[in-house]
Amino acid sequence: MRKQSNLQFAKALYEVTKSLPAESLPQVVKQFFITLQKYNKLKKIDYILEDFISYSKKQSGIKTIEVETTRELDEKTREKIINTFGAKSEITQKINKQILGGIRIKIDDTVHDASLKTQLYKLKQALIK
Amino acid sequence: MSTNNIVEEIKKNISLFQKETEKEETGKVIEVGDGIARLSGLSKCQASEMIEFGSGEETTYGLALNLEEETIGCVLLGEYRHIKEGDTVKRTNRILSVPVGDELVGRVVNPLGQAIDGGKEIKTGKFAPIEKIAPGVMTREPVTQPLQTGIKAIDALIPIGRGQRELIIGDRQTGKTAVAIDAIINQKGKDIICVYVAVGQKESKVARIVAKLKEAGAMEYTIVVVAGASQPAAMSYIAPYSGVAMAEYFMDKGKDVLCVYDDLTKQAWAYREISLLLRRPPGREAYPGDVFYLHSRLLERSCRRNQESGGGSITALPIIETQAGDISAYIPTNVISITDGQIFLETDLFYKGIRPALNVGVSVSRVGGAAQIKPMKKVAGKLKLAMAQFREMEAFAQFSSDLDAETKNQIDLGQRLAEVLKQPQYEPVSVSQQVAVIYAVSNGFASAVAVKDMKEWENGLHAFLEKSKGVLLAKLEAGEWDEKVEAELKDACGQFKS
Repeated sequence: MRKQSNLQFAKALYEVTKSLPAESLPQVVKQFFITLQKYNKLKKIDYILEDFISYSKKQSGIKTIEVETTRELDEKTREKIINTFGAKSEITQKINKQILGGIRIKIDDTVHDASLKTQLYKLKQALIK
Repeated sequence: MSTNNIVEEIKKNISLFQKETEKEETGKVIEVGDGIARLSGLSKCQASEMIEFGSGEETTYGLALNLEEETIGCVLLGEYRHIKEGDTVKRTNRILSVPVGDELVGRVVNPLGQAIDGGKEIKTGKFAPIEKIAPGVMTREPVTQPLQTGIKAIDALIPIGRGQRELIIGDRQTGKTAVAIDAIINQKGKDIICVYVAVGQKESKVARIVAKLKEAGAMEYTIVVVAGASQPAAMSYIAPYSGVAMAEYFMDKGKDVLCVYDDLTKQAWAYREISLLLRRPPGREAYPGDVFYLHSRLLERSCRRNQESGGGSITALPIIETQAGDISAYIPTNVISITDGQIFLETDLFYKGIRPALNVGVSVSRVGGAAQIKPMKKVAGKLKLAMAQFREMEAFAQFSSDLDAETKNQIDLGQRLAEVLKQPQYEPVSVSQQVAVIYAVSNGFASAVAVKDMKEWENGLHAFLEKSKGVLLAKLEAGEWDEKVEAELKDACGQFKS
């Protein structure tokens, strides 16, 4: 039999737990850990949980938005971003001085880059031509 | 120009520059090593799309080969030591393409079309995808025009036509590359563009070839594509496709192109390496299942286009290296079956001093006969017959005293013909001179010359014809042949003899 991947366990956990009432959860989780032990996967639990989180977000349509700026976001900008990209999203913020200014927004796999660094790089390329 | 002007111009350029948000799709490197990388994300990535690793000065491109549910297997085209697990990668939305255009002629480039000859950057403004489906049946035409290699044995016995694919096959050190290089040198002044693709060759060998081509003035119409032995296997894998993409540009313009792939064995090795690292199932000799398609899709792109489609052509001279003369190994048989004939070079003949070490019995040209010019066709017919008879009786040559006169004559003639078919490297002979010398020998004008003096005699004949029979040579070159021309040629040979 082929080796099970972390993602497969994450998916299984999601399928089992998605429609369960809250009180039976501890039971299921206990069973899940027993299964993991059976497959020798306990030490991979961190990766499995990571996959579980991203998978369950994907299934329930929650987008992860990563915002990179040079300064803290104020409430107004934050709201604007949420309004633009849909309410069902989770915003994490990152301060990155390297981008010099502007903003970089990462939604799942797509990056919208409006940072000063990229603009300057493009300007440089345009001037070289 | 004053400083102010410069400032103004820069300001103008800056004001023209439009700010725009860049939208890009990214993924992550899961693992990297041995020239391949496995990536996650990039869910919309296309097959054989270019993927960008790193940014700025340290950009490396990759080629997406395996698209799986969760991951992408990709080969790296260049330096990969700066790539780490967890790095962000970007889609480029471009299928792997190379620059094509007239600017490439005379240059030495890598398989991505970047100059590596120390010259200035190549900017052609036009790109072509390296993988393209070959022209279809309706746009093709039979091979009818000759492509003169300048090598007597090949032009007379195994002629090559424009649009043909003729395999050059043989062991190491039998002069395979020499044949191809001579063919390139002989295209001088014939309005043919040549593309020489060196796959996995020693850099020293490539340098020597480029120097030789320059010396012969052949670089003026030649593009050299080099994927050296020190470069990643992915480069060797894509090099022939890059070369043919560059050639197709000229074919589309109605020109004739000669493409040499030196050699496809090494490309198959490179592809095997990539496939194994990408965990594709191995087949016979650990080659992947599509190793046949690897070569067939490349060689199918050489063709002769009909007039409605522009009338250009690509002639391919793929080279395959055999081990101990075994032409029935996996890759050689594959390529033999794809091509329109093969030139088989043998170690034994090479050390006997027969160079080019052509084995006339095993070598064939399936379509070239139709492309021979008329005078060559006439004299080659006689030559073929005489050589076949000679090979049969060669074994008796040592008992020459006991043989009847007719057999002895045939052996004498055969020995002289064999001598005349020898030819030093880098000395292509024009087709008219070839016709003249083969005619002269096979009609007995050299029977009085000793076998060891044949070379000298031949040079003398060439010089004589060059000097005093220019009109006749021009006629032969143009493919004229009737009783009058033949009589003229006979007369000229007679004059030279006396």
